[in-house]
Amino acid sequence: MIKIPYLAALTTLFSYGLLFVFGQLRDFFRKIFDCWSHSKLQGYAPICLGLEDFYIRRLYLRIQDCFNRPISSPPDAWFDVVERVSNDNNKTLKRTTKVSRCLNLGSYNYLGFAAADEYCTPRVIESLKRFSPSTCSTRVDGGTTTLHTELEESVANFVGKPAAVVFGMGYVTNSAILPVLIGKGGLIISDSLNHNSIVNGARGSGATVRVFQHNTPYHLEKVLREQIAEGQPRTHRPWKKIIVVVEGIYSMEGELCKLPEIVAICKKSKAYVYLDEAHSIGAVGKTGRGVCELLGVDTADVDIMMGTFTKSFGSCGGYIAGSKELIKYLKYTCPAHVYATSISPPAAQQIISSIKVILGEDGSSRGAQKLARIRENCNFFRSELQKMGFEVLGDNDSPVMPIMLYNPSKIPAFSRECLKRNVAVVTVAFPATPLLLARARICISAAHTKEDLIKALEVISRVGDLVGIKYFPAEPKKQQLEETRVKFE
Amino acid sequence: MANLYVQAVPPTDLNRNTEWFTYPGVWTTYILILFFSWLVVLSVFGCSPGMAWTIVHLSHFFVTYQCFHWKKGTPFSDDQGIYNRLTWWEQIDNGKQLTRNRKFLTVVPVVLYLIASHTTDYQHPMLFLNTLAVFILVVAKFPNMHKVRIFGINADQ
Repeated sequence: MIKIPYLAALTTLFSYGLLFVFGQLRDFFRKIFDCWSHSKLQGYAPICLGLEDFYIRRLYLRIQDCFNRPISSPPDAWFDVVERVSNDNNKTLKRTTKVSRCLNLGSYNYLGFAAADEYCTPRVIESLKRFSPSTCSTRVDGGTTTLHTELEESVANFVGKPAAVVFGMGYVTNSAILPVLIGKGGLIISDSLNHNSIVNGARGSGATVRVFQHNTPYHLEKVLREQIAEGQPRTHRPWKKIIVVVEGIYSMEGELCKLPEIVAICKKSKAYVYLDEAHSIGAVGKTGRGVCELLGVDTADVDIMMGTFTKSFGSCGGYIAGSKELIKYLKYTCPAHVYATSISPPAAQQIISSIKVILGEDGSSRGAQKLARIRENCNFFRSELQKMGFEVLGDNDSPVMPIMLYNPSKIPAFSRECLKRNVAVVTVAFPATPLLLARARICISAAHTKEDLIKALEVISRVGDLVGIKYFPAEPKKQQLEETRVKFE
Repeated sequence: MANLYVQAVPPTDLNRNTEWFTYPGVWTTYILILFFSWLVVLSVFGCSPGMAWTIVHLSHFFVTYQCFHWKKGTPFSDDQGIYNRLTWWEQIDNGKQLTRNRKFLTVVPVVLYLIASHTTDYQHPMLFLNTLAVFILVVAKFPNMHKVRIFGINADQ
């Protein structure tokens, strides 16, 4: 349920209509000019069909300088953003040698492992010297080192499942596993706001895909009952397998999944549950074990748990955790295991060390401190933003907070004004989000100190006033409340 | 007015090209755009109100025919071209016919036609042009015309 201010909806639709009309006009004139000039490629088919690249050419390129900003330092709490200039109105951007030191509110650096860490980095350098940067082979041929087996055991232990398998890339984990788990004659029911990797994997599997309303358990139940009653399309035979795919934290909404209800429904209908914990593993839960720990769901009830190491562990790659038979089957069949290069050894060592820090096995309490700090930081930041009158999505305890912008012109305004004041934010627009609901997504990290957060709040408040995105009434400050209370007495 | 909020349930439509049409405020924006374009035409051309309504009706015909029934596919390539053979009208609501959105979009040109012909007192040649426009638009929106390409016009190779 999103609350949209009605006037913002009307103006957003009107702005997009205007942008669309201007884009079409420009295309029309471009077609006329191109008729006159001769193309050197006579007889070749065009790369893009007529309408396919319209959005990129006429809308995205106008505000291209707000996306893909190059950085020249590790993505810690403060980092260096390279400045770019454009001579032809944002059609092409050139990097300059100037950098500006900005506060990083965009990296998925939830526990602060993205920059050099006193426990992890020496061990990573040592494993780099010992094992070399790449295994240069697939897991099956010669790419399984002692680090890989140690990593899989440590991940399985951390997540709470009997066994785990690790891949070199997070996106590939979803898109290469789903086709292996389910095929034609099966049914995948996925949340309407699932990540592109899941959508890709589901499409590639050949199974029938149905979508249920985002995070709405009763709609999931309705869809399940309908589909089980109808059976496969056209033959109406019973489904071979049903998998329900949900995410732990949805990266565009910052919402936690309603896991207990969904698991209960799936148990009733004997459907398998596939939980994608890309953003929640390591970042939520008392000991960082993810959304199952936070919501009190037994990990034995979730059949397949997937996650990535890019967010909380400061590395790269993804894992699948499940029962021993499942992991054994995956190791024989999954193309990402059999044909793709295994995860790089220093990256594997980084994950092993960061898991040790989180669990406190390195002998210090830094892990528990980091977890407590990220929880405090994100709750503080979210409540302050809401008090200022911004529309912030997401649940408490979730380190991802999108601030709603709605209008397409506020996206570059917010992004550029924040960059001028040395705060780097990530803005997201259509087609990654629905058309009306453009937003700026803030990711809080354990590496942010209280001063960083207060500076960020000041800058965002100032820019929010300039751009006009304080859609909700702001709460009056405490002093004014106390004054009115005194007057009554 | 600024404190009016609407609740929006995220729709289950996976096609990003058409799911924006299920959000609140779309119908109002559509009607407001038509009304304001009538005012703009009146002020720019300085013609009679009936003539202005006829101009709005005919330009609405051209624009909506081009956007809804001629252009096929989606303006971005993320969906790998699965909608490349379908016009926007055939894509909305996942191809389900006779939904609320489709009924609304069918009624709008008819209402515009009635206003245009009433305010021009049913005179020719405006009446003929208006009738032709509304006939083409309404026939194009029939459920029986789903994925039909008459005489191969606008069909793929």
